[in-house]
Amino acid sequence: MVNAIKGILVTCDIPMAQLLISINDSMPNAHKFIVYMLDDTHIYVQPDVGKMLQSKLQEFRDQNTYEKPFGTS
Amino acid sequence: MNPKLQKQLRQALSTGGGPPRDVVSESVAARVPNSADLENYAMKQWESVLLQLVDCAADGPAGPKNPFIIKVFQRSGLLTPSSRENESPSLTDLGFQFLLMDTNSQLWQLVREYVTSSEDRGTDSGELVGFLLELGFHLVGEAYSVNSLSPALQKVLDELAALGLVKLQQGMKESWYIPTKLASNLSASLSESTDWQSSEGFVVVETNFKVYAYTSSKLQTEILRCFTRLEYQLPNLVVATLTKESVNKALGSGISAEQIISFLRKHAHPHVAQKIPVVPETVSDQLRLWETDRNRVQFEPAYFYDDFPTMAIYEAVVAHARDLGGLLFEDASAKRLIVRSDLHEDMRQYIRKQSSGAPAQRK
Repeated sequence: MVNAIKGILVTCDIPMAQLLISINDSMPNAHKFIVYMLDDTHIYVQPDVGKMLQSKLQEFRDQNTYEKPFGTS
Repeated sequence: MNPKLQKQLRQALSTGGGPPRDVVSESVAARVPNSADLENYAMKQWESVLLQLVDCAADGPAGPKNPFIIKVFQRSGLLTPSSRENESPSLTDLGFQFLLMDTNSQLWQLVREYVTSSEDRGTDSGELVGFLLELGFHLVGEAYSVNSLSPALQKVLDELAALGLVKLQQGMKESWYIPTKLASNLSASLSESTDWQSSEGFVVVETNFKVYAYTSSKLQTEILRCFTRLEYQLPNLVVATLTKESVNKALGSGISAEQIISFLRKHAHPHVAQKIPVVPETVSDQLRLWETDRNRVQFEPAYFYDDFPTMAIYEAVVAHARDLGGLLFEDASAKRLIVRSDLHEDMRQYIRKQSSGAPAQRK
């Protein structure tokens, strides 16, 4: 009988896919969200982790920023 | 043709028809401000209207607010509707896009919103529209008496003055209004009239992402503050930098890179306006790159189907999903497919039909 699993299909580029895999590995077992690795650029994840992943991506982006302090040139 | 008719016809064609509303006495005509003053007044009013919009972008209200104008902004979706008592409304992404538009489009959008909201406040919108059209045909700088208007229209005049369309003045016995250039723009078409406010561009963008804006207008400074990092502010010059953080902040509030580029292009300083391209390629490309950097990962809620009994059923289901337009991913070797989640019910019924139909076919 056909199985149906509810979730979110994530489409991204290869570096981002690796980032998602590393986030998945760092989560405790109860919270691992990747259901299937479909191919290099598509991942199937649990349905309710959308917001959490967005905030983790934002964190990753913020780590690479540098704000020059005002007043010194 | 009757000579009188000829004369009237000529007058009607040249002045837009209708008896002139001016009952202007000599003393009044002497006190009409000259065109430079009038333009300054109109520009100041218009800027203060826009500044109220921008002040809501910064944290907390700064200048005095006109509650009527705030309501008009809220209705057109430029500010968030105030849900709680003391919460000041904040700018929506439509509001940001509105700020980066040219003056004529802004004027038209506000006037349209004003007319549609007037019905709810009891003013007859037909009368209002008629008056606005008439206003468009009045001569800029000529005084027209207030008393010749109906009382409803006189109330409207106050609000129009707040928007900068007319200037109200009061004499000893009578009061009159003077339409400004903004009002005559109402009847001009969008494309042909030049952008009166910034006929002179003022922004220079360099390849090192520095932005120099030769302006002292508070409004333009605030707009620049939306997507650049202000470094120095001098009496007639604002120095800013397009940094990744500042642009990301703007992108997060809903402005697109295209809008930033077209704003910089539209207000380019005459010294660089002839360069091709006006905004250096390094800058425009980097703005677009920063924008696509935000979209590296796409999420799509979906349903995953596997474990199909036969290849035939699998292929039929895939074809059905493709027809519905919801097929997101298929893997024929493992007999798996992914379909958009809103089509799940439809897919479930189709699969059930297929699997109950298949044993009957094989027999």
